Amino acid sequence: MREILKITIALTVSCLLAGLVIGTTFIFTAKAKQHNEHLNVQQTMFGLLGYSKQRPAPPELRLYSVYRYIVEENDAMSMGYMVPVQKGSVEGYAFIVLDLKGRFLESYDLGLTAEEALSAEDRKKALAPVLKDSAEISFADAMIIACMEEERTAYLLPGEFPGFKTFIKAMVALDPHFQILGLEVIEHEEDPGLGGEITQDYFKNQFVGKSFEKLKKLTVIKEPLPEDYKLYLETMGNTEEGGLSAREVERIQKHYQDKDIYALTGATISSAAVTSGVVGMAKKFAYRVQILDQAVEKGDVPVLF
Amino acid sequence: MPATTKTNTQLVINGLLNENPIFRLALSMCPAVGISTTVANGLLLGVAVLFVQVFSSCTISLIKDHIHPRIRIPTYTLTIATWVTVIDLVLAAFLPVAYKAMGIFVRLIVAFAIITMRLEVFACRNTVVASFWDGVGMGFGFMFGMVALGAVREVLGMGTFLGYDVLGFRPMLFFVLPAAGFFLVGFMMAVFNFVETAYNRRAKRGL
Repeated sequence: MREILKITIALTVSCLLAGLVIGTTFIFTAKAKQHNEHLNVQQTMFGLLGYSKQRPAPPELRLYSVYRYIVEENDAMSMGYMVPVQKGSVEGYAFIVLDLKGRFLESYDLGLTAEEALSAEDRKKALAPVLKDSAEISFADAMIIACMEEERTAYLLPGEFPGFKTFIKAMVALDPHFQILGLEVIEHEEDPGLGGEITQDYFKNQFVGKSFEKLKKLTVIKEPLPEDYKLYLETMGNTEEGGLSAREVERIQKHYQDKDIYALTGATISSAAVTSGVVGMAKKFAYRVQILDQAVEKGDVPVLF
Repeated sequence: MPATTKTNTQLVINGLLNENPIFRLALSMCPAVGISTTVANGLLLGVAVLFVQVFSSCTISLIKDHIHPRIRIPTYTLTIATWVTVIDLVLAAFLPVAYKAMGIFVRLIVAFAIITMRLEVFACRNTVVASFWDGVGMGFGFMFGMVALGAVREVLGMGTFLGYDVLGFRPMLFFVLPAAGFFLVGFMMAVFNFVETAYNRRAKRGL
C-alpha cells in the first residue's frame, strides 16, 4: 500500500515539475513566437501578391481584413461580417449582420482599429457591447482584400482544410475575377519527401492562372509531370535565368492552362486534398463575397474596399 | 549493467560504429525508413535527435538517484516530452529560419525508441559527463545513419543531392518509398556486420 502511495506521489510530482518547466518556457517564448508567425504571414501575403525583398510593395497598396462570424440567437442563425469602414476622416470597423440568405439586417459601429482587429481577443471585446445577451458569436474565417487606389487588385484567403495526415493551412490569392494568382502552404503535417512536396514550386505553381471556370471542375491526374512544364513551374516564366524563351513560356502557358493538376508521385491523396481544399475555399469565397457586396450596397455601409 | 568503463572518446566512437543505433541496435527504424528520403531531411532530424538525446541523458543522469524504480519509463517519457517541447518553443521563438526547416521533425522525436533506450541502459547508471558523451555519440551515430541512407535514397531516387541536381534524371523513384528504406537499412546492417567481422579477423591475426 505504501508503495502505491509513493509511486502515485512520485508520478504526480514529476508531472507537475514537467508542466512547470514547459509552462515557464511557454511564457518566455510565446510573444516572440507570435511575432515570428505574424511576420511569416505578412511575408507570405506579400509573396503571393508578387512582391518580395527585391520588389517591395508600393505604399499605395492597402490590405483590408474582413472577419466573418456566425451569430446564433435563440436558435436563429445569421452571418456577421466585421468590415473596415470610413468613419469621417479615420478608418475604423463596423459589424454588419446578414440573414442566411444574404439580406442586410443591420450594422453596428465598433470601436476597433486595424491593429487591434488582428487579435481575436480584442475583436471579441469590441463585439461584446454590440450584441444582445442571448446572442452567441463564433469566429468563422478571415479574408484580406488588397486594394490599390480604390480598386481591388487581389483577394487573399487564409484557410484550413483536411489533408492526408491532419490539416493543411494554406493561403490562396485570387484576382478580382476569382482567377488564382497564387497558393502558399503555410503549415502541414504531411510526410516529408512525399506529401511534404506540396510546398514545392512545381506543385504549388500549377494552380497559378487557373480561371474560375476551370477551378470549379479542377481535379487531379495521375500522370508524371512533363519536363517542360516542370521547368516552367520552377522558373515561373522568368526568362532571364537561363530557362525558357518568351515564346516557349507562352506556348506552355497556353497548353497547360486548362489541364488538371498533376499529382505528386507517391502522394496522390495529399495532392487531391490540396486541390479539393483550394477549390472549396475559392468557391465558397466567391459566393460569399458577392453576397457581402450586395448587402453592403443595400445597407449603404461606407466600406473601404 | 554496471557503470561504463569507457573513456569519453570511446563513448562517442561507440555510438558511431559499435553500437550505431540504427544499424547495430536496430532502434528508431521508423525515422530511418520513413524520413531518410533526402540528405537535408536526414541531417535536420539527426541534429534534432542529437539535441534531445544529449539534454535528456544529462537530465536523467542528474536525477537518477531520485527516480522511483517502478516509474522509470514514465519519468523518461516525461523528460523527453519536456525537452522536445522546450526545444520546439525556443526554436519557434528565437530561430525562425531553423524552425521552418526542422519544425515538423522535432515533434516526432518524442516517440523514438533510441532515446528512451539510451536513458534506460546508460543514463540512469552513469555520471553526467559520461552520459553527455554517450548522448553525443548516439546522436552522431543516428545522424550518420540517416545521412548515409538519405544520400543513397536521394541520389538514386530523385537524382539530386541536398537539393542540387546531380544526375539530371530520376533513376528509380522506388528508392524514395518506404519499402526501399527497409531494404537499404538491411543492406547497411549487412555492411556493418561484414566490416566488423573483417576487422575482428584482422585483429585476431594481428594478435
